[in-house]
Amino acid sequence: MRERVTQLFLLALRNLVGYPLRSLLTALGVVFGVGSVIAMMALGAGMQQALLAEFGRLGLRNIILNSKKPATRKKDVQTSQWQFNRYGLTRKDLRQITETVPGISDVLPVHARPELAWHGSRKVEATLHAVQPRHMDMFGLRAIRGRALTDADAAGLRRVCAVRGSLFGELGFQGEPLGSSLLVGREYYTVVGILEDEPLLDYQRKAMNVDSKTKEVYVPYATMNERAGTKIVTRRQGSREMTDIELSQIVVTVEREEDVIRTVEMLQRVLARSHEDEDYEIVVPLKELTLRRKTQEVLRYALIAIASISLLVGGIGIANIMLATVTERTREIGIRRALGARRRHIVAQFLTETTVISTLGGLLGVAVGFGMSYLLAAWTSWSAIITPESILLALTISMGTGIVFGLFPARRAALLDPIAALRHE
Amino acid sequence: MSAAVLALRGVTKAYGEGDARVEVLHGLDLEIQPGEFVAIMGPSGSGKSTLLNILGCLDRPTGGAYLLDGEDVARFSDDQLSLIRNSRIGFIFQSYNLIAQLTVLENVKVPLLYRARGHGGGAQRAQELLHTVGLSHRLTHRPSQLSGGECQRVAIARALVNDPILILADEPTGNLDTKTGAEVLELLEGLHRAGSTIVLITHDPAVARRAGRTVRLQDGRLKEAS
Repeated sequence: MRERVTQLFLLALRNLVGYPLRSLLTALGVVFGVGSVIAMMALGAGMQQALLAEFGRLGLRNIILNSKKPATRKKDVQTSQWQFNRYGLTRKDLRQITETVPGISDVLPVHARPELAWHGSRKVEATLHAVQPRHMDMFGLRAIRGRALTDADAAGLRRVCAVRGSLFGELGFQGEPLGSSLLVGREYYTVVGILEDEPLLDYQRKAMNVDSKTKEVYVPYATMNERAGTKIVTRRQGSREMTDIELSQIVVTVEREEDVIRTVEMLQRVLARSHEDEDYEIVVPLKELTLRRKTQEVLRYALIAIASISLLVGGIGIANIMLATVTERTREIGIRRALGARRRHIVAQFLTETTVISTLGGLLGVAVGFGMSYLLAAWTSWSAIITPESILLALTISMGTGIVFGLFPARRAALLDPIAALRHE
Repeated sequence: MSAAVLALRGVTKAYGEGDARVEVLHGLDLEIQPGEFVAIMGPSGSGKSTLLNILGCLDRPTGGAYLLDGEDVARFSDDQLSLIRNSRIGFIFQSYNLIAQLTVLENVKVPLLYRARGHGGGAQRAQELLHTVGLSHRLTHRPSQLSGGECQRVAIARALVNDPILILADEPTGNLDTKTGAEVLELLEGLHRAGSTIVLITHDPAVARRAGRTVRLQDGRLKEAS
């Protein structure tokens, strides 16, 4: 039996090699079909990875609470000249969360507000972010020169800052910004770190509470608390507006990812108790990721389905060529039948040929798939991830294509009348 | 009676239905004993090919019985007939019918592929047979590289590889010149002397004379001739 299979295989191989151009053209559909399936799968995996990385930056175990200006306000006081706004998250919220909500591994307050940064007479609109030093780590804010803020800075209430590099460009700063003194609002801060100007996606921007137009200046929260306070005064068309936001953001880190949703509900209850207006929003990276993932899954499957269509076309091509081959070899089939070949022998012979062609096409397709994946990866800046599973799947599919689409021509061959076949051609 | 290699009893063959029905063979009776060398002669249109196809189990008679080695194969299934062709019958065709993509040795080994389950082997025999027909030096050649006579000799070796009880030759010298044809006929005679049963179909009386017995086929009927 094994000998017979080997013989069939070798015979099929010989017939293939005997007509190299025709064999290549026959296999071409499968080659590109498999190639595109692999490329689409690799792309899909790359997309997923990129997605994960994107949300990984915000931390899947993080729940981000942002203060936001409520639509309706109850506690505003308005005089003819002043408008007092007071809203958002408070230090009391911070305490309550820390004390009453279980399963939390870290709570980070952030106070951010627009401020003017000065250099000489030049001023630029910036945002001042007063953060805990480990906040910078959490959100991947890395200093490309100098250093990030440290706990020592916070403990010593030092007036230091880490700044986005492009801010200095906007200020027309000449020379070395590191170590210089930067006037932000009414305070001077020593620049200890330059942050990379990384482009943030809208979602990240929103979650991190970062403006797209202004550059950030990060200072220690403790320093800001002590020195500057939380009130912001802005002038607008003659009248003055005073906004008091204690905390612009609280980042809650949950111990276990499974508890994120539950913790969100608890936070909602805690905050609802002390907030009359809807002056805060809850951003849950995990939820967003899950949502995005679902959309992406659909896209992935659509891509693979489309790629599979080309595989289908490839299979039809094989069937087509095989039918022609059978006609060409009618005499040979007649001879074999006369010599005692049963129908299933003929089926086996031709089925082997189609399977060998399609499998070899599949192997070639894997190579093509590699090429296509790398091209696509270079073009989209996603990574192309080719797993052994996808290769195995592609090979199995190509083999299956050969069998499925070879069946019809093979049966045709087997059902030929030997007498008529012998007289053929 | 049961010792006969083959026996036709009232074998008829017709094509078509109703008004379009054409009867080609009309109730043939024939008996061939083991070791006989029989020539079946007839002009074209006499039903020679039809008879050959039935004898060779490539076709079934419409009526009557065909006893091959005592078994009535007239109603056998396609698979059963294929097995008979493989193990009991050796074909030699006028146009050799070798497979062009295979070597000489591989051609002779083709019937070995289709043996019944559990009957592997025989590769040795293939080589020996090629030696018998004088082609040991051509084992790896393709049919296209051989002369007509050599091709026919390969076909003879192929016909013998499964040790058939009956050798059926259809105009074996039809495509050969006189000299080569004579060589092939000598080979067949040699096989006959060694004990093979041979049925040879021909229209050439000179060829028929080489056989021990001639049967004439005329308008679908058999008549003993010599």
